[in-house]
Parts: sequence; structure tokens; C-alpha cells
Amino acid sequence: MFSADLLANAVVAGILLGGFYAAVAIGLAIVFGQLDIVNIAHPAFIIVGAYIAYILNSRFGFDPVLVGLLAAPAFFVVGALIYRVYFLAFERTGQESLSGLAFFFGVMFIIEVVLILIYGVDYRLVQADYIGQSWRIGFVDFPFRMLVPFAVATALTAVIYTFMSHTFMGRAIQAVAQDRLALQLMGADPVRIKQWAFGLGIATAAIAGSLLIVIGPVEPSVGRLYIGRAFAIVVLGGMGSISGMFIAALILGIVESMVSTFAGPSWSPAVAFGLLALTLALRPAGLFGRR
Amino acid sequence: MASKLAIEDLEAGYGAVRVLHGVSISVEDGESVVLLGSNGNGKSTLLKCVMGIVPPSAGKIHFERDGERIDLAGKSPQEIVGLGIALVPEGRRLFPMLSVEENLLLGAYRSAARAKLAENLEFVLEVFPALRERRRQLAGSMSGGEQQMVAVARALMSEPRILLVDEPSVGLAPILVNRMIAKIKELKERRNLTVLMAEQNFNQAIKIADRGYIIVHGEIAFEGRSAAELRGNDMVKRYYLGI
Repeated sequence: MFSADLLANAVVAGILLGGFYAAVAIGLAIVFGQLDIVNIAHPAFIIVGAYIAYILNSRFGFDPVLVGLLAAPAFFVVGALIYRVYFLAFERTGQESLSGLAFFFGVMFIIEVVLILIYGVDYRLVQADYIGQSWRIGFVDFPFRMLVPFAVATALTAVIYTFMSHTFMGRAIQAVAQDRLALQLMGADPVRIKQWAFGLGIATAAIAGSLLIVIGPVEPSVGRLYIGRAFAIVVLGGMGSISGMFIAALILGIVESMVSTFAGPSWSPAVAFGLLALTLALRPAGLFGRR
Repeated sequence: MASKLAIEDLEAGYGAVRVLHGVSISVEDGESVVLLGSNGNGKSTLLKCVMGIVPPSAGKIHFERDGERIDLAGKSPQEIVGLGIALVPEGRRLFPMLSVEENLLLGAYRSAARAKLAENLEFVLEVFPALRERRRQLAGSMSGGEQQMVAVARALMSEPRILLVDEPSVGLAPILVNRMIAKIKELKERRNLTVLMAEQNFNQAIKIADRGYIIVHGEIAFEGRSAAELRGNDMVKRYYLGI
């Protein structure tokens, strides 16, 4: 059962998968990690991103990843509006913890049901030249449908990391949950900062969605499979640390890939929750957590 | 470049508890004014009213800038900071999970401060050399004295015309209080700042006071038009100097 080429392929597949997981989790690393908003609907927005890539790809033949990048600004606006509603309805009155969670649960179901009503529960997929091609180095496979998402997700992580650490808005986003009043004393409006951050988080879902549908076919409820994974990655990475999130995503990808190769694919969904439980028990601050 | 703060008949409180009962004070351009009083007499509340953190129930707060008179009532803290008033808050309120440098850079968030960021950063690191070596350290992991330095430096990064300082001595060892007061005095002289400082440590506060007020139970009990007048006042002698 165990062999070197199996192991090498499992590790490489895991790294590529982990890179994609970083794109799934990065929006939550901002929204949940930095703002403490439990946006359980984040994977549902990723599915919307996947469907937009599907629609424009099947109608006009646009490249799915390009569609994801172009849809990101629109997602930003939608995210900012949703935060406005969340703020006015819950955060302003201090009811965000439970009512807010229920709100995002509702948003998730609405997105799912609307997609099902319009497109049904069939799996949808996209066409692109690189899907189906692969490199083979020695006995290790590098399928392009995994390599492209890995490359795009890595670039996305680098851009968000730079934004967070090198701009006034990025630093303010990091500060806003730590001390809201102190941020006001710096001359910043906390509501505006959070609105920006939430928009940015949702914008990444457009890109993650296009990557998801490049990897494989998508139907409206597959987003649920990513809720546990995304939250596990953010917690393992250390709540809000972008670089920690990326490492955690790679770890989850590698472990899942190894488990699925050597123990069977049906075990892989258990990995995320196993890692989450271990993290909370052994190192609650996460691998690279500041808190 | 003249800046002036005028507070008239200010009343404020929290719910049913009235804290300030008709307080009037003023701070003229280039002055350092101290607000003396022991805990619970309304010093912090007064500064919070100026910053828009606590809404006054009556009275006026005006900020004069280059001859323009601006009513601060109803303005948010961020708008007031944007006008050029900075507060070093009680308890320092640093961003504990951010580095010293990130804290300082956030101080320069307002647009007028961004233009002078490099210059101001160099200036505060020169005034507080200890912070230069600790730029990468998390603010929350520093000692109280170092945190107070970061808090003052961060407020200066916003390029304020008027600096409000709320109880800089709280939680610091006496020798550190000495140093902190000396630093505030140095900053004031080098930057030609206008300072309003709330403090309960009379002997320290008097070192930088051009003049001051004594606040008791939310009312101005005494106005000293000079440091000498403050020192000579009977009440000060009785309550603060123990003579």
C-alpha cells in the first residue's frame, strides 16, 4: 500500500489543494479573524462566485479565473452593503453574537435556495484549455486544474498580506476589533473600516469561487463542505494572521491528501475538524497567533 | 497657527449620575493647563466630552483654529481628531496585538498627519529612543512605562494642535512618572504644543503647568492663574501637599 511515488504524489496534491484552501479561507481570516464576525455564509458566496464563472464561461467562453477577478469589485460592494445591514440590525444594538450568527445562517440558506431554484441541483462545470492538461515531473503529477488555483491563491494571499501590513486601511482593519474607541482617537471611523474589511473579505469569495469550479464541478450546496475547513484554517493559522492562515491551509491540504491516499477519501472531511479540535486543545492561539 | 479651546458651563454625566455641573475652562494657544483633582471628580469625563466620547447634556465646547470658531458639539471622536485635537487616553489604550511601530503608524491615520509621517516618526523615536529598539515588539507585551511612551508618541503622530493627556501617572512607578512629565514638558517646548493635562499627582503636574484648575465634585473649585497661585492656594495645601 505504501510507496514513495504514492507519498510524493499525495504531498504535492496536498500542497496544491492547500493553496486553494487558502483562497477559500482568506476572506474569513479577515472577517472572522480580524473583525470577529462569524460569517458562516462565506462559503455560500464562494459558490455564487463559482456560478458567475460558470454562467459567463458557458455563455461567452470567458476564462473562469478572469471572471472571478472581474467579479471581485462587485462582490466588494455587495459585502459592504451586507455589513451595513448587519451593523444597523445587530452590531449597533450589541446583539451580534447570536442574532448575527442566525443572520448569516439565513443568508447562506437564501443563497443556496435561490441557486437551486434557478439552476437546479445538477453539477455545473467550466471549460478552459488548461483544465485536463498536466505536467509530469518524474513520477509526480502537476494537474493544471490544481496548479492554476494554487498559483492564483498564492498571489491573492500575497496581495492581501501586503495590503494588511503596508496600508493605513490594512493596519486599521487589524486594529478595529482590538480597541474600537482607540481607533476613533486615531481619527478613523470604525464602521467605515469594518465595512471596507467585510467588502474585501467577500471580494475574495469571487476569486475563490472561480478557482473552485476550475478544480471540479459545483452544485449549490457544496459550500457546506468548506465551512468547517475554512474556520479550522483560520483558527489553526492564528485568527487574523494572513501568513499563518496560508501555512495552516497548506497543512490541512497535505494532511487531507495523505489521509485520503492512505486511509481512503471518505476520511478526509474529518481531518479539518480533527485539526480544529487539536488546535483548540493544544494551542488555542493557533500556530502563528498573536493572541 | 493659533489654537484655543473654550469650554463653557459644561454639564455631563452617565445616565442618572451627573458628573460635571457647569464647568468652564479655557486653554489658550501655547499654554499648558492642568486639571487637578482626585479620582471621581470629573477630570476624565471633561476630556471625554471634548473628544466627543461622552455627549454633554448642556454647555458649549468651542475649538478655535486660526481665527475660525468650531463648535465641537455633536461631532464624533474621529471628526474631532481630524480637526487637530489628540487625546492620550487614561489606561493608554494601545492596540496590544500590534507592534509598537504599527501603533505609531496608526497614529498618523488622519490625512493631515500622513503627509508628515516620516518626519513625525523620526521625531517621536528621537524623543523616546527606547521605542526605536522596540519597534517590532507587540505593544501589549511592554511595561506600563513603555506603553505610556507609545501612547504619547502615538498621539503626537496625529500632528495635533492641542494635546489632551489623561492621567499619565496612573500605574507608573514614581521615577517613571518623573520622566514622563519631563518628556511631556520637552515635547511641549519643542513642538510649541498646547496641552491640557488631567492629573491627580499635584507635585508632578505643577512642573509643567502654566496655570490650572482644581476640580472638586464636578465643579471648578479654584482657578490658579499661575503655577505660583496653584501652589499658594489653601485648598491645594490642605488636600494635595498635606501642609
